[in-house]
Amino acid sequence: MKRPALLLAVALLLLSSALISYRILSLKYPILPAAPEKVWRFSIEARVLGGEKETTVMIGVPYPHKGQIIAEERIRSGILGFNLLREGINQVGVWFGTLPSEGETIGYSATIQVRPPRPTKTKAPTPPLGPYPPNVGKEEQALARRLVAKWDRFPPEEQLRRITAAVKGIWRTPSPDDRDLQAWSDLHDKHGRLTAFLVLLRAADLPARVVQGLQLTEGITNSPLTWIEIWTDQGWESLQPEKGEIYQKPAPLLPLTMNGLPAVRVTNGELSEIRWTLNREIISQWHMHFERMMRSNRFLDRWSLFRLPPEFQRTFRILILVPIGALMICVLRNLVGFPTFGIFMPVLMALAFRNTGLAYGIGIFAGVVLIGYVVRRWINKLRLLLVPRLSVILTLVITFFTVFALIGNKVGLRELMAVGLLPFVILTMTIERFFVIMEEAGGREALWIAAGSAAVATITHEIIHFEPLQLTFFVYPELLFVVAAVQVLLGRYTGYRLSEFIRFRKLRSPS
Amino acid sequence: MIFNAIRLLQNVGVLSMNRRNAEYIMRCNPRSSFPLVDDKLATKRLAEAHQIPTPSLYHVIEYHGDMAKLKMALGEEREFVVKPARGAGGSGIVLITDRTEEGFVKQNGEKISWKDLTYHISGILSGIYSLEGLEDRALFEALVRPHPVFSAVTFHGVPDIRIVVYRGVPVMGMARLPTQASDGKANLHRGAIGVGIDMVQGITFAAVHHSRIVTHHPDTGNPVGGLRVPYWENMLQMAAEAVDMTGLGYLGVDMVIDCERGPLLLELNARPGLQIQIANQAGLRRRLELVDKAPPDIFTTLETRIAWAQQTFATSDS
Repeated sequence: MKRPALLLAVALLLLSSALISYRILSLKYPILPAAPEKVWRFSIEARVLGGEKETTVMIGVPYPHKGQIIAEERIRSGILGFNLLREGINQVGVWFGTLPSEGETIGYSATIQVRPPRPTKTKAPTPPLGPYPPNVGKEEQALARRLVAKWDRFPPEEQLRRITAAVKGIWRTPSPDDRDLQAWSDLHDKHGRLTAFLVLLRAADLPARVVQGLQLTEGITNSPLTWIEIWTDQGWESLQPEKGEIYQKPAPLLPLTMNGLPAVRVTNGELSEIRWTLNREIISQWHMHFERMMRSNRFLDRWSLFRLPPEFQRTFRILILVPIGALMICVLRNLVGFPTFGIFMPVLMALAFRNTGLAYGIGIFAGVVLIGYVVRRWINKLRLLLVPRLSVILTLVITFFTVFALIGNKVGLRELMAVGLLPFVILTMTIERFFVIMEEAGGREALWIAAGSAAVATITHEIIHFEPLQLTFFVYPELLFVVAAVQVLLGRYTGYRLSEFIRFRKLRSPS
Repeated sequence: MIFNAIRLLQNVGVLSMNRRNAEYIMRCNPRSSFPLVDDKLATKRLAEAHQIPTPSLYHVIEYHGDMAKLKMALGEEREFVVKPARGAGGSGIVLITDRTEEGFVKQNGEKISWKDLTYHISGILSGIYSLEGLEDRALFEALVRPHPVFSAVTFHGVPDIRIVVYRGVPVMGMARLPTQASDGKANLHRGAIGVGIDMVQGITFAAVHHSRIVTHHPDTGNPVGGLRVPYWENMLQMAAEAVDMTGLGYLGVDMVIDCERGPLLLELNARPGLQIQIANQAGLRRRLELVDKAPPDIFTTLETRIAWAQQTFATSDS
């Protein structure tokens, strides 16, 4: 007898956890959708002035990859057209069009979540070596190869360290001869430090790339940072060429364009002003996944509750938690043995309190039931038949609502005006039930049940308005199966209720 | 602490509400047979077909329009009971013991006018007292003149005997005695007291009043124990037969003892309460499990079932 229920509960739990794990593992949903998450708010703003021909502005923007999630992208393009292009590894925003004489303001903003990459066991393949930097002559290349030749036997990290030191002018023993040193100094002066680095790195067969981007700190800047990324066996190392420093990993950098591409390119026009802004923000994790999911074509993403129109989403956020309220009532009635007015009346009350607020809701409810009870006692003398009598009470309830709303309007209390959304049928039946229990079981019992109902309504109200829970259920609606599983298990609980310990206390026997 | 409390209750074999509902009512009582016991008129007709005596039926009102015929139907009857056919827990039952110029007298001495009575009846018809709020019928039955055995421990009203029957085997019995608080009704939750009955001899012992153990009737002050219930064997048989006729597995059989006609079947209850355990100072669950473990041959006849029950439940506990 017990087995099928248990099996059903287990099946529901399995189904639920399978769906949740699929979402987390395969669709990369956040485990705690409501948990706070530190993100960067990134934005570019620029003023473009143009000539008579069509102007094109290309600005590198952060692109999504394993280490960072991009969400909530917003574009400002004014009268210009806009396109998001992939240029190799880079993502570039392209604004184009003919500009008016006063120019146009363009902008791009996004929320970026930077996630430190998890250490991977499989080694990434070494990227191919690029060419030497342009305008570096054959002799200079030979010089560079000579300079690094003696470090050949070192591992890439050590080579990189030595090259860094060398560019800063520190040559460990054996130091190159004076001629080479002079030639190197000329090269450095002629091409600049960046190229000097690139030449040595290329000569040492270390794959390297020039990156433009921003320092990951809060602030505003009007020129991007340039640095070099060098591939070692440990992955990409970031090198600040001016200071000749290697950043600690994870590097506090936000790359915008890679492989030497400038972060900003303009044809037929100019930027009179450009600034990059980075701000720290705290948002719920779910935010970051929302847009990605909206674009996804995966089955569960397409059938997500987030695809509902927003006005219906609000309803479902609440509705999806109502079964927890019902579960509470199961616990109260079958485990504790505490009666409530009607089975689900407290849940409906809790739902209705959404508009009036908890305190006003309970106050109005108690008030209406109390006055209703007095009237119901008096009506009893009239000997009305059941259905007409209930209709009279219903009319009475609606009258109260109207009066409350009018008073609320007079004194400017919105909560009183929202009274119209209380479930008047439930109120009517509660008045009748309250009267019958008063008559049959006495005032103490009736008040006891009323207090219990109010308590359940309060708890349920708090549960269904608890945002993190709302969000979690909304992201993972299969949690409803978990609730159902507990309900099924409770349905097979044949043990004693708490109240029965008191009820049968005279029957307890130690034997 | 809780686990200790659970253990103490389990030692006695107390049946819990959840277990009663899930393991006995839902398992043994097919929903399709509920109308037979939920509707007192259906029970009465079934009982008549099986030669089980019930209080005589005077009249049935089914529609509000039939109210006009009530005066004629009742004739000169001075004593009768009005009850809803589908009422639960004794609600809506009015006992009329006399007539006056304007109307009637209830068993507690209160006067009730014709107008009040017809209002009450129309309430019954609209389904106020009915289990699911469905439209109902009002039954008019002969007022039972209770056997004097309980007269010293009854305050107005009619005492009755409840026997719980499981799979055709009577497992526990109690007498339900009205008090002033219960308004002449024999329902424990209304304040009547329940007195446990020894299965073998039909002698009363402990009593429960509002979950408390009492030895004397709260209104009359007389001791409730040591009374020998007349027709005890007959009633055990009647209870078992009544359950057989319905095809239900777990029932409370309510009977009254009329001083002239002897035991009469009053009604059947598909969800008998658990207070009977306190009245008997014994757990139902233990007895129900004993029935399940009983050798199959005891179920062959009514007599073997009763004999087995008397033998087993005389010794199994207090």
